[in-house]
Amino acid sequence: MSAVPASGEDAVTARRVPRPVGGDEAARLGFRLTLPAQVLVLFIAAFPLLMQLYISLTDWAPLDGIGWWRAWELWNGFANYTDLIADDRLWSALWRTAIVMLVCVPAEFLLGLGLATLFADEFPGKRLFYSILLMPMMVVPAVAGYMFFMLFQSGGPVNDILSGLTGRPVAIAWLSDPTLALVAVMVADIWQWTPLMFLILLAGLVGVPEDQMKAATLLGANAWQRFVTIVLPKMKTIIVIALAIRLIENFKIFDTLFIMTGGGPGVATETISVYIYKVTTQDLIWGYVAAIALAILVVLSIVAVFAMKRMAAARIAA
Amino acid sequence: MSSIRLDNLVKRFGDFAALKTMDLEIADGEFMALLGPSGCGKSTTMNMVAGMEEPSEGRILFGGRDMAGVPMGRRGVGFVFQNYAIFTHMTVRQNLAYGPRMRGAPKSEVERRVAAVADLLQLGPLLERRADRLSVNILQRIAIGRSAILEPAIFLLDEPLSNVDAAFRAVMRTELKHLQRQFRQTMVYVTHDQLEAMTMADRIAVMDHGVLQQVGTPLDVYNNPANVFVARFIGAPGMNLLPGRPAEGDRGLVVDLGPLGASPPLPDRLAAAARRHGGPLLYGFRPEALELGRPGLALPVTFVERIGARAVVHFGDGATAVKGVFANDVGLAVGETVTLRPDRGSVRLFDAASGRALAGEG
Repeated sequence: MSAVPASGEDAVTARRVPRPVGGDEAARLGFRLTLPAQVLVLFIAAFPLLMQLYISLTDWAPLDGIGWWRAWELWNGFANYTDLIADDRLWSALWRTAIVMLVCVPAEFLLGLGLATLFADEFPGKRLFYSILLMPMMVVPAVAGYMFFMLFQSGGPVNDILSGLTGRPVAIAWLSDPTLALVAVMVADIWQWTPLMFLILLAGLVGVPEDQMKAATLLGANAWQRFVTIVLPKMKTIIVIALAIRLIENFKIFDTLFIMTGGGPGVATETISVYIYKVTTQDLIWGYVAAIALAILVVLSIVAVFAMKRMAAARIAA
Repeated sequence: MSSIRLDNLVKRFGDFAALKTMDLEIADGEFMALLGPSGCGKSTTMNMVAGMEEPSEGRILFGGRDMAGVPMGRRGVGFVFQNYAIFTHMTVRQNLAYGPRMRGAPKSEVERRVAAVADLLQLGPLLERRADRLSVNILQRIAIGRSAILEPAIFLLDEPLSNVDAAFRAVMRTELKHLQRQFRQTMVYVTHDQLEAMTMADRIAVMDHGVLQQVGTPLDVYNNPANVFVARFIGAPGMNLLPGRPAEGDRGLVVDLGPLGASPPLPDRLAAAARRHGGPLLYGFRPEALELGRPGLALPVTFVERIGARAVVHFGDGATAVKGVFANDVGLAVGETVTLRPDRGSVRLFDAASGRALAGEG
């Protein structure tokens, strides 16, 4: 922030900064007391970032036989960044990640919201179903990956169930078909992460004041009208939080997917994390990896800041 | 507008009978208070009238029409919740417009009705304000306006003043009574505060332990309690009740109060009733209706509470404890023994076993 706040919003933020009691002397003491912690945080957060930035501007790879601090000997300026823009495989991985996100997160949201609505009321066996419902979240993602790997084999249970339902033998090669492999991967993600969505949304739903719901009913609102006019507005903040958490997590989708398909067949399920992993471990061009990771971090940060601003606005409104 | 009839109403939650039985007629345009300590079944009764809960037995009739199976949104009932249940995420205007909007009223009509109600309740300047962080009396007006806009036949109010501090409550009571006069609706008002019931209601239904104890005008309930519960519950402090038996005195029938000796002679009407009854009695009189220094009950002063304009004086203890209310400059000191005589007209008799009043009306 500039010393002289320019916009109105900056002025508000500036005014909110508390003036230290006792003036400059107290401020200096405070600075000195928090210095060790600040140095530590700086080292943890800033050092890797700067190191990454440094390497991303070179052609350095771990097998070159020189330490990373001597990477300047392989300086190549912004070549990695220009390569990145022309990297079709990177763009298609990003695009694929976006598709997975746009399918999985809304599906998890809607399923979670539906389940939460169901669980907001009492019904027999609720506690048991509740425990069962939370189980997927507790399964180690690698194990879940292996589970779905087996489920989606051509001779696996998914095909057996489909055979039973259709009455004809079904032998779909789920994980070797480019489109179906992506579907299988998304099913696994939805299975594993709907419970988290459910849990967060249930917390929000329980927080909707019961008497306001009753008041709405007395004023003639039906169930759908109550949902739209009372429940959703009251849950706005928590919905934004739940979506933000899942969008960020889903963007990084890796472990379950990697065990199920390894990014294949071909590159059919290669998401951004899988792509970075492959470039890191197979191509070993770390300078380029650093450039990709940094670029994504910058883009995500911009998105996150935007989302957080909206969240703060929603919280004030709620 | 509509009358309400509760016909043999019963509500059980599992084995617990929240409302054992209730028969009550509320006239069209009447302000009826349901008064009783917490857990007496008054809120349960109200919730059943609103349709929030189904009766276990019995019927609820609005103007002769059975309400069984009519959902709460269709009963034509306005409900003001204890904490008002204002939609805090909306503006005052959106709160007022909620009912008509949900019922699909055309936009122009909604606007016209909101304007009318806002005008009546003096909410006009606040219409665009968000409904959170408004003062309690404005919240109350929104809550009433939000229901009133639908022109309900019946208004139900569930302890609307219990979250308000004492000083403000008096202002709110006046405002509420004033609003009722404007809307002219049948109002049912649930409260545990007898002052609210006394000051606002046309009639009071006193309840205890899921049973209706007495229905009557505020003065009637105060002057002629139907039983010991009402006698003790109404009034601050409640009626004094001393155990005794009827006995013949020199100047007519008296009540032998055991260690306290004989009461002053009973008025004729009560004497006749006591003579017919013959058995153990409770001799009741209002703390406000005591004369000091006249021949009567001799009791020591045990405690003096000075509460502003008046002083509550405690006499005796245990079974012979009596409270009296006097002007705050009353010259009584703890330990001093005085004689008290209940005002003849204020004396009431109750059957010691059943707690019922003898010869009710005075």
